[in-house]
Amino acid sequence: MRLILAGVLAGLLSATAAKADEMVFTSWGGTTQEAQTKSWAEPFAASSGIKVLQDGPTDYGKLKAMVDAKNVTWDVVDVEMDFAIKAAKDGLLEPIDFAAVPKADLDPRFSNEHAVGSFYYSFVLAWNKGVVSGEPTSWADMFDTKKFPGKRTFYKWSAPGVIEIALLADGVPADKLYPLDLERAFKKLDTIKSDIVWWGGGAESQQLIASGEAAFGQLWNGRVFALEKDGADVGVSWNQNLTAADVLVVPKGAKNKDSAMKFLAAATSPTGQAKFAEASGYAPINTKAKAEMPADVVKGLPDAHVEGQINLDMNYWAEHRDEIATRWYAWQTK
Amino acid sequence: MQAHSLSRGSIAGLPAGSGGALPALVLVGLFFVVPVVALLLRSVTDPEPGLQNYAALFGSGTYVRVFLNTFLVAAVVTVVTIVVAFPVAWMLAIMPPALGSVVFGIIILSMWTNLLTRTYAWMVLLQRTGVINRALMGLGVIHEPLPLINNLTGVTIGMVYIMLPFMILPLVGTLRAIDPMTLRAAALCGASPSQAFRRILLPLSLPGIAAGGLMVFVMSLGYFVTPALLGGTSNMMLAEMIAQTVQSLLNWGLGSAAAFVLLAVTMVLYAIQLRMVGARRLAGGL
Repeated sequence: MRLILAGVLAGLLSATAAKADEMVFTSWGGTTQEAQTKSWAEPFAASSGIKVLQDGPTDYGKLKAMVDAKNVTWDVVDVEMDFAIKAAKDGLLEPIDFAAVPKADLDPRFSNEHAVGSFYYSFVLAWNKGVVSGEPTSWADMFDTKKFPGKRTFYKWSAPGVIEIALLADGVPADKLYPLDLERAFKKLDTIKSDIVWWGGGAESQQLIASGEAAFGQLWNGRVFALEKDGADVGVSWNQNLTAADVLVVPKGAKNKDSAMKFLAAATSPTGQAKFAEASGYAPINTKAKAEMPADVVKGLPDAHVEGQINLDMNYWAEHRDEIATRWYAWQTK
Repeated sequence: MQAHSLSRGSIAGLPAGSGGALPALVLVGLFFVVPVVALLLRSVTDPEPGLQNYAALFGSGTYVRVFLNTFLVAAVVTVVTIVVAFPVAWMLAIMPPALGSVVFGIIILSMWTNLLTRTYAWMVLLQRTGVINRALMGLGVIHEPLPLINNLTGVTIGMVYIMLPFMILPLVGTLRAIDPMTLRAAALCGASPSQAFRRILLPLSLPGIAAGGLMVFVMSLGYFVTPALLGGTSNMMLAEMIAQTVQSLLNWGLGSAAAFVLLAVTMVLYAIQLRMVGARRLAGGL
């Protein structure tokens, strides 16, 4: 029975697999993938003659299923960095061919043997100026419902960010965050649980803040950037902004590995990174990219807010991902 | 080739002359039976052979809570759907046929609208800054927005709306089949309208209620989009939990076990229902 199923699935999947002069790029959809298509895929296709097919959204379960079934239809995938570290450990990723992908100018914080940076971003505190009187200046203000009444919105899924925010708000110094004190974090989160509205995706976070449905939120800086560009009345505090990164990986057994490596070289090049940053408001992971960008764009990047900036520890998360997630959902569903 | 090996197995047990059903059987086998068996296998082999996934499932307070909540939501949705659908179905059954088909068309039309669109529309209506709360506050009826979303209320409203046609359709069939003379006879014998409803109409429409209710309940158990968008995390339903387990934790074994338990419970419920109502009456009601 299993064999039959595998055979049928294999037949269906291989019908959609890319041909030799094609490859498949998978990311999260929405404005981010649009920017990636425009900044990376289209120029790359024009210069190399390799057609880049778009797929998405990224789904870790699907990625693992493809590798397990030895029928991988994705060649390059945009994933969160803590997942990449864990996936490499589990044998789900191809090593990066650094003979094809120049490494010298890549920010070492966001690259390793099995992944190169895609972009990096910060979680920032954003609010709707029409609803909030005063200016919140730290994560502690998001837990102060007396001084700042109203709903607050946080990222719904178990991922680096909210736990750290709760601990910072509870007075844990930035350099003492890890190992994470989950007990303390959930206790702090309990104090505002009934005031939390969760967002599951970037567009939802924008909608909640722009409509005033939530007064404050923990948002990706690129999403706040897009709101400001659209003329929404939002405030933003970069104090204690928390950095994390997306990285590009090649699943083990990808059919167009060579094309994939060439694509990675183009995507992480100074030009590719500069163009993407300009379109998205996320920060480049190539240190030479800024030279190619307009000054006013550079000013709005997480790079311009290193004071009080905190790097979320991706290695810690990669190691404790499952354990934290179990606790996270147990707390959330209570 | 797969079809061949399957058909040889299935045709042996069938009475002669049922060869015409073969394509349908192959289809059912390939797309329903095989995946379910694969699911079951996965739940007892991934990551290693044994029952550890089921032990983890029932040992986890989270999963047990989400299970109970899933059944609670499905039950609430079913009851509310029956209560709302009954008068509509009754109207439809006694309406002049021309008018009835117009109303019927409107109900069916809502089924053809994209599910996600309908759910987002409810979000716009129900949220704190939404149409309903704004209107009520503008009229001075309330001063604080009512909590209509991110909780059981939101899920129930959104899901009942989606489930209504599945309840109304079988009910109309049953109600139309009831001879109107029975109600007139009840009235002539001195029954009040409520007595006639309780002792004549309701018992006679039970097969329709059972058929529709079962369908609504079973469909509700597996719902994903509507609870995810209109509910809060404290009423997370099983489908969303399974998606998280598989997509983010990559735990296919545990996810399969949860899915299989849900399937098994559903089938037990179905069996009980068949016993109570009888397969033929149930099918007739549909």
